[in-house]
Amino acid sequence: MTASDILLRVENLSKHFPTKTGSVKAVDGVTFDIKRGTIVGLVGESGSGKTTAGRCTLRLIEPSGGRLIFDGKDLLSLSEREMRSYRRRMQIVFQDPYSSLNPRMRVEDIIGEAIDTHNLARGAAKRERIAELLTRVGLDPEHGRRYPHEFSGGQRQRIGIARALAVEPEFIVADEPVSALDVSVQAQVLNLIQDLQQSYGLTMLFIAHDLSVVEYLCDEVVVMYLGRVMERGPSRSVYAMPRHPYTQALLSAAPVPNPKAHRQRVILQGDIPSPMNPPSGCVFRTRCPYAIDACAEVVPPLDPIAPDHHVACIRRDDPVVLSQGKRL
Amino acid sequence: MSELPADIVLRVDRLRTHFELGSRVAKSVDDVSFDVRRGETVAVVGESGSGKSVTSLSIMRLLAPPGRIVEGEILYRTSDGRILDIATLSQKDMRRIRGREIAMIFQEPMTSLNPLYTVGDQIIEMIRLHEPLSKLEARKRARQMLELVEIPAAERRLDEYPHQMSGGMRQRAMIALALSCNPKLLIADEPTTALDVTIQAQILDLLRRLQAEIGMSILFITHNLGVVADIAHDVVVMYAGRVVEQTSSERLFEHQKHPYSRGLLACIPDASRDRGPSGERLRLNPIPGNVPSVMALPKGCSFAPRCPLRIARCEEDPPLLVAEPHHLSRCWRHDDL
Repeated sequence: MTASDILLRVENLSKHFPTKTGSVKAVDGVTFDIKRGTIVGLVGESGSGKTTAGRCTLRLIEPSGGRLIFDGKDLLSLSEREMRSYRRRMQIVFQDPYSSLNPRMRVEDIIGEAIDTHNLARGAAKRERIAELLTRVGLDPEHGRRYPHEFSGGQRQRIGIARALAVEPEFIVADEPVSALDVSVQAQVLNLIQDLQQSYGLTMLFIAHDLSVVEYLCDEVVVMYLGRVMERGPSRSVYAMPRHPYTQALLSAAPVPNPKAHRQRVILQGDIPSPMNPPSGCVFRTRCPYAIDACAEVVPPLDPIAPDHHVACIRRDDPVVLSQGKRL
Repeated sequence: MSELPADIVLRVDRLRTHFELGSRVAKSVDDVSFDVRRGETVAVVGESGSGKSVTSLSIMRLLAPPGRIVEGEILYRTSDGRILDIATLSQKDMRRIRGREIAMIFQEPMTSLNPLYTVGDQIIEMIRLHEPLSKLEARKRARQMLELVEIPAAERRLDEYPHQMSGGMRQRAMIALALSCNPKLLIADEPTTALDVTIQAQILDLLRRLQAEIGMSILFITHNLGVVADIAHDVVVMYAGRVVEQTSSERLFEHQKHPYSRGLLACIPDASRDRGPSGERLRLNPIPGNVPSVMALPKGCSFAPRCPLRIARCEEDPPLLVAEPHHLSRCWRHDDL
């Protein structure tokens, strides 16, 4: 694989929030690549840092350290002014289609604002572009005159997607774009996302907590816990044989709509620790069923175990951990 | 007084709960019937606007006006063997049922925990409201309740305020509060929806274990079919205020007899089905359109406008038909499924 196959390289990314009593390491040394035209899923529970990491990749939150190589250029070396031309190439779709659209703006103005910001079209050409975008996301172009409250949740999410597409981006961060929607409507929006991804050749970072959606939609998956990457790799390999005890626990905990699926469930004890005071060594060790004394001593490196598949666990080759991965 | 078979704790019979807004009526719960047996879990599953939460609030008689039970019975067997119709009970009598006989837990624990009192004080108050125990005895019992729901360092946690606990811990504290008077029936309204999957697995495991130990019945309200498969014995599928399918959990997942239930299962992404042989993504099978508002229901079958099996007859409202023994479906074409 050559470097040009990679649209975004996230390298040792970190975001530390200072507080009165110390700093919160929301994202701590996160590294992964996103190849052009692929969808990478970023999964983890609340407090894992997945949303912060996603926003950092767009510099919507300014990272504390690391590098973001987008199309060969380190975004963190750019001034705010130089960043503008890159902003057009990267967009975000938010989780909540209720709070992410200005209720006092007409839909055509919400989409038009993005076009104006980057001076992409004016007058009739702009109106045509808005109508085309609305049609493309499955809405009636006539509805551009309406306000967000006149639409259902699924339709609003389509508006959010149209707004992101308005500037013809190459890269989209989708932050839980279907989790606020009814189940029967989620599949409509997921179909739309992949249609658009294919027809525009989009590259995406898909942030989610729903593991079955990620398995279906994403080419690769990055599993985060307490600000760090525990495991990453092609979705097929990670789901077929999760190698990190946290990935194993996460996959075994996700309920599946089949009462006969009696899986070997790993029930984790306790809660995710506070990021103010993370455990030493491996951050997962306090909840890990396989933790040993050595886990407290060193931060396990994210080692390759197969092409593109990396695991941060010192016991990853231990038979007890391996066999749990096989049982899932 | 009405009759109730011995193993049934709760019978909801032709319940109708309406919200009258001026001249318009929202039939949020429209002719819903089901039984909850002793020691078993019934799941009521549906999307937004299905009426699943209004059903549970009707049973607890916690409806806010203009919500009103307009028809039907809610028969409940008390611990001392009497059978009451909750639908017509006075609020005074209802207070003796709530908490002691039927308890409820919610999606958001802060709806039942008071932020101004310690967790211990709230459980102690609940215990002493229903039982003549001294403060010290009640505190001991409260500590046992926290231990029952596997809250570590229970003695110390009694003196903590809800905000000092994590989301999963608060959910446990709420369950401890709900179970502190040994209710026979627990109504759980989306109790794990706001939780992470690893915490959800803990809570479902806990509820299953408590049910086996205490023998309580659970009415579990959820939108998540994965959770239904995990915890329920019987399932009631609701759509736009009505029951569209009703059977055992095992049978529902094996063979859906209503196009809505079938569509719901078909649209949940499943990589083993929705990815091709070389891993390429196949298109998902969504249910077209949107969930209708109960204020503006279509004529005839409410699901017909979104239904792939729609025929002319669907303009006529289908009753709940027996598709096979112990399996009901509100669809004219259940035989074709």
